[in-house]
Amino acid sequence: MSDIEERLSAWLDGAMTPQEAAAFEAELERDPALAARAASWRANDSFISGALAPLAQEPIGDDLLARLGLAEPEALPSAANDNPPWWRQRWLPVGGALAAGLALVLVMVQRPADTAQDGGLSFALESTPALQQARLADGRTLVPQFTARAADGRWCREYRVDDHAGIACRDAKGWKVEAEAKDLGPVADGDIQLAGGGTAAEIDAANARLKTADPLDSVAERALIAQQWGDR
Amino acid sequence: MTDSGPDSGAMRAEIIAALPRLRRFCRGLTGHGEDGDDLMQSTVERALARAYQFETGSRVDAWMFRIARNLHIDAIRSARRRGPQIDIEEIAETSGEDGRDTVENRSDLAAAQRALQSVPEDQRSTFLLVVVEGLSYREAAEVLEVPLGTIMSRLARARARIDAVVGRSQGGLQ
Repeated sequence: MSDIEERLSAWLDGAMTPQEAAAFEAELERDPALAARAASWRANDSFISGALAPLAQEPIGDDLLARLGLAEPEALPSAANDNPPWWRQRWLPVGGALAAGLALVLVMVQRPADTAQDGGLSFALESTPALQQARLADGRTLVPQFTARAADGRWCREYRVDDHAGIACRDAKGWKVEAEAKDLGPVADGDIQLAGGGTAAEIDAANARLKTADPLDSVAERALIAQQWGDR
Repeated sequence: MTDSGPDSGAMRAEIIAALPRLRRFCRGLTGHGEDGDDLMQSTVERALARAYQFETGSRVDAWMFRIARNLHIDAIRSARRRGPQIDIEEIAETSGEDGRDTVENRSDLAAAQRALQSVPEDQRSTFLLVVVEGLSYREAAEVLEVPLGTIMSRLARARARIDAVVGRSQGGLQ
């Protein structure tokens, strides 16, 4: 590859300094063959980039996003006014692989931990959108269910980790587990609910105590995560 | 997106925003619509699985271009191991002429793809990044993990080759 061709290429790409470009343009004026080659190369560039331009204008449909694993997670609906409080309906059908085979038989309630700092739980709660999976340090999988604001202003998230569910709230020091319900078993039809009445008493009690508002939709939740929960 | 990105929701949005250009880059690399889409899908899967490797503050699209290019190189090497030993350049020249009906058949696009496939893969990826995707030399050098001088020489070689191919065909590219 000759130096002149590399310089021609750099000139076409605007990759020369003004002084280099001026010198090269003087060469173009003196050398008709070089000028013809420059015109030809520029035309080739223009044709190829123009011919490929429509490929980047084809729409990215929902089907393609789903195939690529980029579909928007299904948002949990907010409770209607004439319905029970949303936190009594949290085991709503979410469908799909997330729900399949999830074990949810309430047997006992675990004493809440003082903090949620261990094993990556805090990081998972901090950064994972609802219904996405996060792997904890011990190999278990955490799936945030949704995010809602407590009456005291803290953001709270219900989550599920393998065989138990929990609720944790965030203050300036980090995430603190407010309640956990352990040993959950499977339910029929792929829906998620708790056996024995369909509610987890300890988590219901925590929601009642915290006076959590309606859950955020997925867009608002993602914005909150992106802002590192700074909207307090 | 699973557990790993520094901000998985924001990164997912950036990946989606980069998809149109990633699709174009993949189709340009492979010279084939379906192969390009397969490469795009593999690229997204790899990006999602390795989001923890993404360096905060860098460009998601450039990161995905790098993944796509590396996967494409892996595929070429794998094909070489499986089949008769042929030059990468020959693969480039024959791809799109293998009798499949799904080769891009719009005339301008087909002509552009033929010109692109006439150059070796390393030159083609460089040409696509700079001329089609508009990356600077420095950005292209980072994607391809080569020195700036290599970017310059590859571009000049690609352009010379394309011009020669065009010159041999009647009526030029169009």
